[in-house]
Amino acid sequence: MIRLFKIEFKKILTYKIFWTLTGLYFVFLSLGLMMAEFMINHMVDDINSHTPIPLPHITIYFFPRVWQNITFFATIRYVLIFPAIVIIILITNEFTFKTIRQNVINGMSKAEILVSKLLIILLISVVTTILLSIGTLILGISNTSGLTLSGIVEKSTFVIGFFVSILTFQVFALFFGFLLRNTGLAIAVFTMYVFIIEPIIYYFLKSPLVFKNGISTYLPVNSVLRVTEYPAIQVLKTVMGLNLQDSVSLAACSLPLFYSAIMVGIVYLVLVKRDL
Amino acid sequence: METVLSIDNISKQYGKIHAVKDLSLEIRQGQVFGILGPNGSGKTTTLSVILELIRANSGSFRWFGQAPAKESRKRIGSVIESPNFFPYLSPVNNLKIVADIKDLGYNDIERVLHLTGLYERRNSRFKTFSFGMKQRLAVASALLGNPDVMILDEPTNGLDPQGIAHIRELILLVAAQGITIIMASHLLDEVQKICTHVAVLSKGTKLFDGKVSEVLAISDSFELAGNHQELLIRMLKSHPAFQSMIPGTGKIQVYFNKEINPEELNQYFFQHGVILTHLSERKRSLEQHFLELLDNHK
Repeated sequence: MIRLFKIEFKKILTYKIFWTLTGLYFVFLSLGLMMAEFMINHMVDDINSHTPIPLPHITIYFFPRVWQNITFFATIRYVLIFPAIVIIILITNEFTFKTIRQNVINGMSKAEILVSKLLIILLISVVTTILLSIGTLILGISNTSGLTLSGIVEKSTFVIGFFVSILTFQVFALFFGFLLRNTGLAIAVFTMYVFIIEPIIYYFLKSPLVFKNGISTYLPVNSVLRVTEYPAIQVLKTVMGLNLQDSVSLAACSLPLFYSAIMVGIVYLVLVKRDL
Repeated sequence: METVLSIDNISKQYGKIHAVKDLSLEIRQGQVFGILGPNGSGKTTTLSVILELIRANSGSFRWFGQAPAKESRKRIGSVIESPNFFPYLSPVNNLKIVADIKDLGYNDIERVLHLTGLYERRNSRFKTFSFGMKQRLAVASALLGNPDVMILDEPTNGLDPQGIAHIRELILLVAAQGITIIMASHLLDEVQKICTHVAVLSKGTKLFDGKVSEVLAISDSFELAGNHQELLIRMLKSHPAFQSMIPGTGKIQVYFNKEINPEELNQYFFQHGVILTHLSERKRSLEQHFLELLDNHK
């Protein structure tokens, strides 16, 4: 395991594209999260200029709700796609440079090749989760009056939800990377699936004419996005009367994990069966 | 001698094309084994199968007497087709990855870089290398940690004369250390200069194998015509050094299995009542010889 990690780490240590993309991801993520409140209130002002009853300005950076508010924004499609593309590039590179062949020739098994990429996914997920937790703590502490330890810890399970989301979304990307092998093709197909194909299927299945039992929520990408649901923005609550999620449920986490396990299994079989 | 690699009836098909057909080989420790054949004869496919890059449709192989596993591949250094490395990494970092995979330390890296003349460029990125340097890095990575076996697929392909000479010297140096070498090549000349044993492949089938000195023994041919064609042929066939002949229009092309001088030959026929009307000696190039080898076994 340590050996595989050493190998993978050498591959990314001086790889500029990797650091540029992950750097952009962290900048984008932190800016987005810091500006979320400002942008929402901008929207509120906009709405207020058209309605007779003005809505109050909202705050999202207070404990304990900050956990859910932050993880929700950090797990929307547009943000999750960044680490996913990084993973696709790292995997398809091996095919482009034919280094996957060389690694096998030199004494790696197909299983080790798969595990080494899963380790990188794990690393990115752990680091991002830690950074996100630190960021959330800072935002929460500086924006909450009357801090209590229980207030801070309460609802911190959303961090686990974030970890599951970012981990499984990257596993989906790994699936496309290993199956399609070509960088451009894999990124294009994966992005199309996430932003166009699955949403179309989602709305088709959601239409009451087709299925009534909410089968649409079981789609892979949707299952990842559903781990953390719409946050407790008071405005939305009052205006739309949404049901609010109080914690990350085991059921919500298990579905994307189940999909990931299946995808990893398929990738392994394909790797073993297919000629390199 | 210990058997390093035994291949048992391997076949690989791509659709209707038989890339390799019922191939069996036995390679022993210390041999410099050449796999000789024209392009498309199944050399690379064979090497890819024994390195587990592709799966054979049938047949099996054993490394060091054991079923294929990653542990045996760690004892083998290979250069297959093009040099495959991370373009943005330096040779040192690329070799460190190889060393990690093979469970080796990093202390051999300097030696192989010196051996292949890449030490000065050890910190440049791989993508800035010329083709010759890339190929040398591939050889360096194969040499890492003194493997038990080295596999080389067309190691001098695309190199300039100096590069070819350098790589061949290296191979001979490695062979002198007792490392078993398996080398695929379409150049008879290369196999003859480097290898001790050879298997000749054509269209995925093994034509024959054995010691280079026996299989590739070069015999010159003569073109003959005489006043009595029938007797000439009869006498030819009873000549002690006769190997084969190709009857032509009036002239007969004949091969002997050892060196014959024209005077001797002329005398032989004269003594047996045939007067030669034509006798010319034909020196064959190695390439011609190779093509004839393939032709004769169709």
